[in-house]
Amino acid sequence: MIVCEKVSKSYPMGRGRKHVLKDVDLEIRPGEHIGFLGRNGAGKTTFIKLIGGVELATSGKIRRQMSVSWPLGFGGGFQGSLTGYDNARFIARIYGYEYGDIRDFVEDFTELGPQLKMPVKTYSSGMRARLAFALSLAIEFECYLIDEVIMVGDSNFQRKCHYELFDKRGDRALIFASHSTDLIREYCNRAMVLHGGTGTMYTDINQALEIYASL
Amino acid sequence: MSDLATGWRFQRRVIGALMVRELVTRFGRENIGFLWMMADPLLFAVLVGILWRFMKGPEEHGVSIIAFIATGYIPLTFFRNAVTRSIRVFTVNSSLMYHRQIKVLDFVLVRVLIEAIGATMAFLFVGAVLVALGEFPIPADIGAFVGGWLLYCLFTFSICLILAPLSEMSDVLEKIVPVVTYIAIPFSGTFNMVSWLTPAAQNAVLYSPFVNAMELLRYGIFGPGIDAQWDITVPLAASLVLTLIGLSMCRRIRRELVVE
Repeated sequence: MIVCEKVSKSYPMGRGRKHVLKDVDLEIRPGEHIGFLGRNGAGKTTFIKLIGGVELATSGKIRRQMSVSWPLGFGGGFQGSLTGYDNARFIARIYGYEYGDIRDFVEDFTELGPQLKMPVKTYSSGMRARLAFALSLAIEFECYLIDEVIMVGDSNFQRKCHYELFDKRGDRALIFASHSTDLIREYCNRAMVLHGGTGTMYTDINQALEIYASL
Repeated sequence: MSDLATGWRFQRRVIGALMVRELVTRFGRENIGFLWMMADPLLFAVLVGILWRFMKGPEEHGVSIIAFIATGYIPLTFFRNAVTRSIRVFTVNSSLMYHRQIKVLDFVLVRVLIEAIGATMAFLFVGAVLVALGEFPIPADIGAFVGGWLLYCLFTFSICLILAPLSEMSDVLEKIVPVVTYIAIPFSGTFNMVSWLTPAAQNAVLYSPFVNAMELLRYGIFGPGIDAQWDITVPLAASLVLTLIGLSMCRRIRRELVVE
């Protein structure tokens, strides 16, 4: 279970502060799939970063009683000057996994072949997404945080992601931010609409999508 | 207790992984690889030592000039590199904040540790070569040398713990750090023993944690003949105070850290 209580986040802006999230509450139970909806800049990514512990809330509390992945997005989590293999080795080390297992999974999942010997900064955004996805799926978490990244990549990659994430790991909790209404409708039990710094939770996905469409 | 042990094991693994990552990024895997980390202190020690040897003759106050300069320059280079490497270390490494088990403190620790290991290797290398050439004494008291060097490293680390968060708060720091470290050289114990100074100057420099550590370090190498004087409570107390301040500053900066 993950519990967010009255979570607020603000950033310094000029002389004042920009309040991105204001007193947002959220409870994620094991196995739940929660979608985040909201316009660009509504705070979806910020909220995911707070849940993942990448950035810390200005006020409020986040308690994690299950293992939570790092937010899966385009950038974060790896170092551009290192090769794909070096990044895999690093992840294996800090999460206490056998490098051999991680390497095999990454090779198989990314299909990047010899490109894995090149620095990550030479990768296209699709290739980066493949690597990012492979690395975080190689580590078993009870809750995965996914920020938009499902949408990139070719259809082969998308098929693989869906299989690994929704079929093989369907019992895990999942939070994903997406603008794809199809994806949210198909896979989510609940959806939160973020707007004006507040988050409203809907158990009826269609209602959430209607509200989102009217923003 | 077992929680603490697990936590420590975990943290050690993280620090190990960060060190390898840092070394691969900085030096790559080509040619001598990781050995590059001792190149900087080594070159400074040897080249400045040779320069002074020709300027001032083979000995000063009864000790070999080359040995004396080498024992001074390796710690000084370590200190300067550690300080430079701590500037903006949180921003530079912020992408690593994606992994919750990595703490901002690890960044400072890893960078200082790499410089310290490089300097220690340089000490061993220079020592071995110079002893073979007859330019360096067989260390009189290894324990004193190690103790002095550890105190020097500890105090450097505590300074870095403050500079790292401070450099995130203000850009000015980056500009003034090089000149300040240069001006502070008389208080670094690099170029002279305390006993060579006038009584007034002796009183002043003995407040410096670096000088106390250097005196102990050099006593360990040159023995009682150089009339070293030190008080280990000076570097210990100074490190403790700076570490406490630094830790609370790091904690504050972590809350504000923006990760792309």
